[in-house]
Amino acid sequence: MTIIWLGLFSGIAFGFVVQRVGATDAHRMARSHLMLDADIPRFMLLAVALSAVGLFGLQSVGVGRVLPLPTSIVATGLAAVIFGIGWGLTGYCPGTTWAAAGEGRMDAVFALLGGLAGAALFAHLHEILVPLLYDPTNVGQITLTDLFGNQAIAVAMLVVVFGLCTWGIGKLWKNS
Amino acid sequence: MELTNKQHIPYWHWIPAAFALSGIIVFIFATYGPPASSSGFVSTLKGFLEWVAPDYVAAKAHYKAIPGPGSWLFAFALGMAIGGFVAGRTSKDIPVRDMPPIWKRRFGDSRAKRYAATFLGGFLILFGSRLAGGCTLGLFISGSTQLAVSGLYFGVVIFAVAMLTARLIFGKVAEQEDIQ
Repeated sequence: MTIIWLGLFSGIAFGFVVQRVGATDAHRMARSHLMLDADIPRFMLLAVALSAVGLFGLQSVGVGRVLPLPTSIVATGLAAVIFGIGWGLTGYCPGTTWAAAGEGRMDAVFALLGGLAGAALFAHLHEILVPLLYDPTNVGQITLTDLFGNQAIAVAMLVVVFGLCTWGIGKLWKNS
Repeated sequence: MELTNKQHIPYWHWIPAAFALSGIIVFIFATYGPPASSSGFVSTLKGFLEWVAPDYVAAKAHYKAIPGPGSWLFAFALGMAIGGFVAGRTSKDIPVRDMPPIWKRRFGDSRAKRYAATFLGGFLILFGSRLAGGCTLGLFISGSTQLAVSGLYFGVVIFAVAMLTARLIFGKVAEQEDIQ
């Protein structure tokens, strides 16, 4: 039961922050994608860099659970293309859809319904699509630690690259 | 429309907001594991289908892999909706709109058109997420935090494709768009 309350609490906090920063506003997301508003992408990338450092700290004291998803060259890439079209079209991703629907944005309610339909169709086709698209090019649960040979160096590399991207977005996007 | 740069910005600054979000993400890793939100859609469906078609759910691999509504994943998704609701109700400044102004300028006032587009977009983001195994949060943010190559790969492609899609759809009105 505790785990349910933890999930609910985490979700409320998460939904609150993404609303306050403006990520539930499809208008802002469209402007972010059009390189007119730098704040949401910088917020996302900085949050990842900080989380990676925090998680490294947790792991060094033996707390927490990690489960990196495998990389399938075809399925992960194709899925990202499908996802990107939907994200660019609506300005919502699955997480912000929940928060924006709760906020009372009617277009997000329709995105939520469409999302349920999309998830249902994929679940129905899972047995066909996973062996066809996912499994043949699945290279396993590879991480940067495997590539660099050392977790501390991998975290440092991620922080440097994400930091540079955050800085670059501030330079390249119009309003920053 | 003339807007000055001195106008009041109702949103949190991105730097403290990123610190707040990463605090929540690290808390989630410590108390549960990798956060995810597209799985909440599958949990919702599973709860519904277990009620109307239990044999179907029991036979399908995707529903076997994701827990039903009595789980952290579902509680988190529900919490996000509650968090959005509370945040929306307690902010007087952040506009809650059924249609983004940039969409109106491009496609007109038809709500049916916008709702049909977000239904289709929602369909695509969830179909894609379930194929990849996660979404912006469950794969890009969670995965990159764990240094997973899958999360970084997914992240690069979704940003590139979304930016291209937005340019194709809104490119014409982008330059004249000045509403905050």
